[in-house]
Amino acid sequence: MIQITDLEKFYRTEEVQTIALNKLSFEVKQGEFVAIMGPSGCGKSTLLNILGLLDDPDGGSFKFNGEEVAGYNERKRSDLRKHNVGFVFQSFNLIDELTVFENVELPLIYTGVKPAERKKRVEEVLEKMQIMHRRNHFPQQLSGGQQQRVAVARAVVNNPKLILADEPTGNLDSTNGNEVMDLLIDLNEAGTTIIMVTHSEHDAKYSHRIIRMLDGQKVTENILA
Amino acid sequence: MIINYIKIALRSLLKNKGYSFLNIFGLAIGITCASLIFLWVEDEVSFNTNFPNQDQVFYVPTNQNYEGEWRTFYSTPGPLAQDMLDDIPGIEKATRSNLQEILFAFGDNSITRRGRYVDEDFLDIFSLKFIEGNRENAFANPEAIVLTQETSEQLFGKGENAIGKVVKVSNKDNYLVTGVVEDLPKNVTFPFDWIAPFERYAEGEEWMTFYGNNFSDTFVKLASEANFETVDAQVRALIRKKEENTTDYAFLHSIKDWHLRSKFEGGEIVGGRITYVRLFTIIAFIILLIACINFMNLSTARSEKRANEVGVRKAMGSSRGRLITQFISESLILAFIAALVSALFLAVLLPQFNLIIEKDLTLGLGNPIHVLVLLTITIICGVFAGLYPAFYLSSFKPVQVLKGLKVTEGSASFIRKGLVVGQFTVSIVFIIFTILVYQQIQHAKNRDLGYDKDQLLSMRIDEDFIPKFDVIQQELIRTGSVQNATLCNSQLLSGGNNGSGFTWKGGTNTEDVLISFRNVTESFFETTGMEIIEGRGFNKNYEIDSTSVLISQSLAKMMGEENPIGNIINRGDGPLEVVGVVKDYVYGDMFDSSDPVLFMNYPPYARYMFIKTKDGVPVDRALSDIEAVLKTHNPAYPFEYTFVDEAFDAKFKNEQLVGELSQIFAILAILISCLGLFGLAAYTAEQRSKEIGVRKVLGASVSGIVKLLSKDFLKLVGISILISVPIAWYATYSWLQDYAYRIEINWIVFLVAGVLAVIIALATVSFQAIKAAIANPIKSLRTE
Repeated sequence: MIQITDLEKFYRTEEVQTIALNKLSFEVKQGEFVAIMGPSGCGKSTLLNILGLLDDPDGGSFKFNGEEVAGYNERKRSDLRKHNVGFVFQSFNLIDELTVFENVELPLIYTGVKPAERKKRVEEVLEKMQIMHRRNHFPQQLSGGQQQRVAVARAVVNNPKLILADEPTGNLDSTNGNEVMDLLIDLNEAGTTIIMVTHSEHDAKYSHRIIRMLDGQKVTENILA
Repeated sequence: MIINYIKIALRSLLKNKGYSFLNIFGLAIGITCASLIFLWVEDEVSFNTNFPNQDQVFYVPTNQNYEGEWRTFYSTPGPLAQDMLDDIPGIEKATRSNLQEILFAFGDNSITRRGRYVDEDFLDIFSLKFIEGNRENAFANPEAIVLTQETSEQLFGKGENAIGKVVKVSNKDNYLVTGVVEDLPKNVTFPFDWIAPFERYAEGEEWMTFYGNNFSDTFVKLASEANFETVDAQVRALIRKKEENTTDYAFLHSIKDWHLRSKFEGGEIVGGRITYVRLFTIIAFIILLIACINFMNLSTARSEKRANEVGVRKAMGSSRGRLITQFISESLILAFIAALVSALFLAVLLPQFNLIIEKDLTLGLGNPIHVLVLLTITIICGVFAGLYPAFYLSSFKPVQVLKGLKVTEGSASFIRKGLVVGQFTVSIVFIIFTILVYQQIQHAKNRDLGYDKDQLLSMRIDEDFIPKFDVIQQELIRTGSVQNATLCNSQLLSGGNNGSGFTWKGGTNTEDVLISFRNVTESFFETTGMEIIEGRGFNKNYEIDSTSVLISQSLAKMMGEENPIGNIINRGDGPLEVVGVVKDYVYGDMFDSSDPVLFMNYPPYARYMFIKTKDGVPVDRALSDIEAVLKTHNPAYPFEYTFVDEAFDAKFKNEQLVGELSQIFAILAILISCLGLFGLAAYTAEQRSKEIGVRKVLGASVSGIVKLLSKDFLKLVGISILISVPIAWYATYSWLQDYAYRIEINWIVFLVAGVLAVIIALATVSFQAIKAAIANPIKSLRTE
């Protein structure tokens, strides 16, 4: 599903150039659950942003479903992203002014789903995430765990082929964290590919494969299952 | 999708109440202010547009040359109207018109009303609508008079039939009411309460049939197929064809230009009120711009708050275009709320505004044009104010904002500062302009007028009053309330009659000097406080002093004689001997120097009486004493009077209007700018809360922090002062060029305006700065 070869990304300021990704190559197959680990600044999040089509690489190749997407313009990236990728962030990134229902509904609006269909799908996913009773609440009225459930619901409502999770349990206590990981496992078992960036060895163990990075390069790769 | 935008916009407004208030209030003030100006402009441009033939109706002024300078007068020779009809095929209708104020009496009821003696064509030119009587018979009788509905009701009572009633005019002549016409709308430049056949006015006055005597207005209507240029060229040539040795010429001046373009210089239209209409329209847009700037500044300043949302929406698949649409929709919603608030403001403020501008404007939200204009203003504001923030906010990269990185403001911060500078520049220009307009008005009001306008009453009189004047004067003085009284043929402040063709010993080419003449009584100079600086005044018995004249100082100077007393001035009707010189006095344009004046001792031409009340006598008592005397001798006349000082103040109407509006705009511009500055200061304090916390922990004082936060804003105000000074100087300098008698622009005004702006800005910013400085540093450090 994902094939990156010699991927490069640089950050430049007026005086220095930092290499975030240094000729990184790996592959992720359809239905895999991959964890990416490494110390802060090793390039994990940069990689996730590129994989999520939020950012553009400076060099190398990035194939998504066999199609070269490095160098796509913003419009094409946005189009590909909204139909194929769901995001789960460490800090949830829910929109404060929208209710739980409206937050989850958002990706469906952008993909042009009709209102009746949207309602059905949002309700289904909220039921699945056991957060239906909070549908009319605003994010600030929910606990952290509940907020992350909403974020996961939002990520999956469009049935994306790929979910990118950036430290999904980073802001949660262990109970809530485990619940979120269970949700991700369920999704993966249902066929969704998941790539998760994490600092937590505990969470990484939920995955099939752990890629460890240092200074923008892959250092090890462990297959768990 | 649009519902989603509205929902999020309304929730965002409610969540950020302070920010929403600043934005809505600022924008509402801007829209209110612009709407008030547009209502005024609508009224100004609507003048004389209520006539079906407005494209074909023209005033016919004349250009006359005096001392090498073309001057424009509305008075024309008597035969001009008829000759235009006879000689120029394109002229379909023409009328003479002479404005007179006359006394009407019907039974016990007597009123004084202004009206016009006109030819029959007047009825067609202005398409007068008859309520009683009809067009055909209106002027059939030489003693006819046609009244407006209001005048008819005042004379005969409401619902009373007026046709066939006989009214006494000026206490001697009978007029037969032959018609009642609809009242004229308020926005006409030639109002009248009655019209009567011109022949009645011209009866026995042979001089009115000659060229060379300019005394009547002329109006014409062109044939529908006539070509303006051709007819105008023929009109311009006509007087010179009819009168030998004259350079005078008449020309056509469209009805549509009478109100807005009636200022002539060198015989050409150079503007008029249109200048103010344009100026205020520009000001309306500037005020709107200031209000929009607030919106832009506050929106971009709080961009960090919206950054996360932008990131999420983009990650979810929103395109930049959609985000731009969303943000513009939000600003449109805000603008609509502001428009609703401004409709409330307008309802409250319009009566006050009407008092200032002396009009009767109505909000007229039932008028589709008004609603359309308000909607257009709202949409323009919404889109314009939202455009920059929309492009700016939608440009955020989701990668950056979702990771919680600080949004690098870059150009936004620079633009925001630029916009603040723009706002304050406009405000300071308004402050300077307001002060200078005020100074200019005071300058003219305080100038030495050459007479004492205080405690001076003016009242209109008729011929039958003049023989009784001596007795009345003595009785008025005997009341103890009156110092003196006099008669004159014109109002003190107006130009009155004038003429040329005078010669005097030692003068060359004096025939084209335009001189005003006043027919007065002996008591004129004492009553009005005019000073005789040389020679003597008039003899009480005018019959033995009928060839004596007093001249104004400027005329004496023109005569060039070291001692003008005894000099002889000649005009067609015999020699006049100069017996005295009067200090120059200001009449007509209070900002200009007036034409020379010749005073003659001839009361029979008098049309006004002036009464000077004694110092220390209460006005009420003086008025009741005067009324008692006048009622004894003149029971038929209503006691109607004006105070000369009030008439004097009315002379400054235009300038006063500019001054007052400029003051209002200055206050509003400052208020809106301060709202914006207040909001910006709040966000700056919030953004720098960590820095403030660290500084305080390290020992910074409250005053030090306040200084730190205020400094940047004051720098912006400083730049505004530097930019606004040359702009304000140029604007006021250009404005002052219209006035011959004007102030020198003093640099202190700029200093005062600058200091004022700094104080206002400091007061606005320091509230937020102090709040931030006294906050507990632990709190801000913990939240970070």
